[in-house]
Amino acid sequence: MPQKGSNDPKNLLEGSNDMDAKLKEQIDERAHVLSAIKNDLITRLNLPYTPEDLHEDVSLLGSGLGLDSLDALEVILGIEHAFGVKVSEDNISILRSINSIADYVLAVRRGQEVPS
Amino acid sequence: MRKSVLHDLLAGRGARFAQRAGAQVADGFTSFEREYGAVRSGVGITDFSFTQRFRIPEEGLDVLERYAAGSVANIRFGRVLHTFAADEEGMLESDLYIANDDENFYLIGESLVDDDKTRSVLDECGAQEHGVEDLSQSTALIGLDGYEAWHVAKELFGADVLGLPYLSIETYDLDGIEIKLIRAGKTSEFGYLLMVPAQSAQTVWERLVGAEKEVAPVGLAAHMGLRLDGRFFNIHAEGAAVRDPLSLGLQWMIDLDADDYRGKEAIEARRAAGLKRKIIGVVPEAGTELRQRAAITHQGEKVAEVITWTPSPTLGHPIGLALFDVPFAYSGLAFELEGAGRVKTVSLPPFTARSLTVKLDEM
Repeated sequence: MPQKGSNDPKNLLEGSNDMDAKLKEQIDERAHVLSAIKNDLITRLNLPYTPEDLHEDVSLLGSGLGLDSLDALEVILGIEHAFGVKVSEDNISILRSINSIADYVLAVRRGQEVPS
Repeated sequence: MRKSVLHDLLAGRGARFAQRAGAQVADGFTSFEREYGAVRSGVGITDFSFTQRFRIPEEGLDVLERYAAGSVANIRFGRVLHTFAADEEGMLESDLYIANDDENFYLIGESLVDDDKTRSVLDECGAQEHGVEDLSQSTALIGLDGYEAWHVAKELFGADVLGLPYLSIETYDLDGIEIKLIRAGKTSEFGYLLMVPAQSAQTVWERLVGAEKEVAPVGLAAHMGLRLDGRFFNIHAEGAAVRDPLSLGLQWMIDLDADDYRGKEAIEARRAAGLKRKIIGVVPEAGTELRQRAAITHQGEKVAEVITWTPSPTLGHPIGLALFDVPFAYSGLAFELEGAGRVKTVSLPPFTARSLTVKLDEM
């Protein structure tokens, strides 16, 4: 099993002197959102993985994790609960991957146009 | 070199050929753009007979469990598992579909190693004792991919084909020809694989291209682009270059509770040590050209390397994959590209395929 926290982005970044502050801030914000999404997916769907096992681009529907429509509803509930954002059940495009969910959450938070 | 039984027919249709792992491949027919476009908006037909194909009697389940990383024992009847086979060092060797067709399993592999090597590895896993049969010469594998591929499947096999879930297998009869139809594909559009007896391959190919919908011949080169911008794993591109399934994000293909499979010890050791690098999508900023193996830098230090890229007619610009040091492996960031220009990391898949918006069960 992976050592807990061995690749926690925070641990890695704290030891990195050659990353500029703006980039570090961007990474911290995204890492926080990704971590919350992964933990919620693992818990809600009882997935046999650690957060590090889940690549952020793994497909959620069809190939990859192979979630069905009921799972998709669970995921949407999780996003709404964790981040306080509203997700239309018709908006399957944000469920393409963990990264596409993170893009949506970050865009809503920043008041930007949400990705489709 | 193993040639497809469809070789002469495809040569007559203007196919350009290449070679992969000791097998001849129809790489293209017209242009990348035309063939790519046929799949994204219509139907493309591809000869996947370069794949390695085996029939494993159900009592030979142990062979598959020793060979493949995925949860073979849990494949339900009529369903297909997408997984991989690794070498003893836990590095990718073959990208696999394993179908459970009741009395038999069917193994379809896109491999980095030739037929002899794969047969030798399967023998080490007990293939000979369990009557595993090599179908690579006695069958052909024809792929039908595209936004409208389901129209053609319905025309030939009837409306019930629309009820086949993704990653499933069913047997159909087409004018007396037994066809193993697998609903699968790596383009993000609708996809079907037809495993047919070699002697009937030309007949089936002609029936497919004679369908009411226009069906365009598509080579593997176009599939390389379709896989990348559809974000399907491609063993011939990033798989061959990186080979570590963990860095490639293929953990979902692994049965973490498996007793044993080839390469398990090495994969588990790397998993325990933690990821050092991982694959991330990149797009070039205007005026920048992606180049394979080009270094991606931050403040003058190399943080990644471009592994593969493709033009993407859907996106209107190229897209690539780069292997990043984990601390920098996030989308939404900008970096310098060695030499000149900048790239941005992006989330994948970069768009929602039109096929995902079609509900076949409502047709």
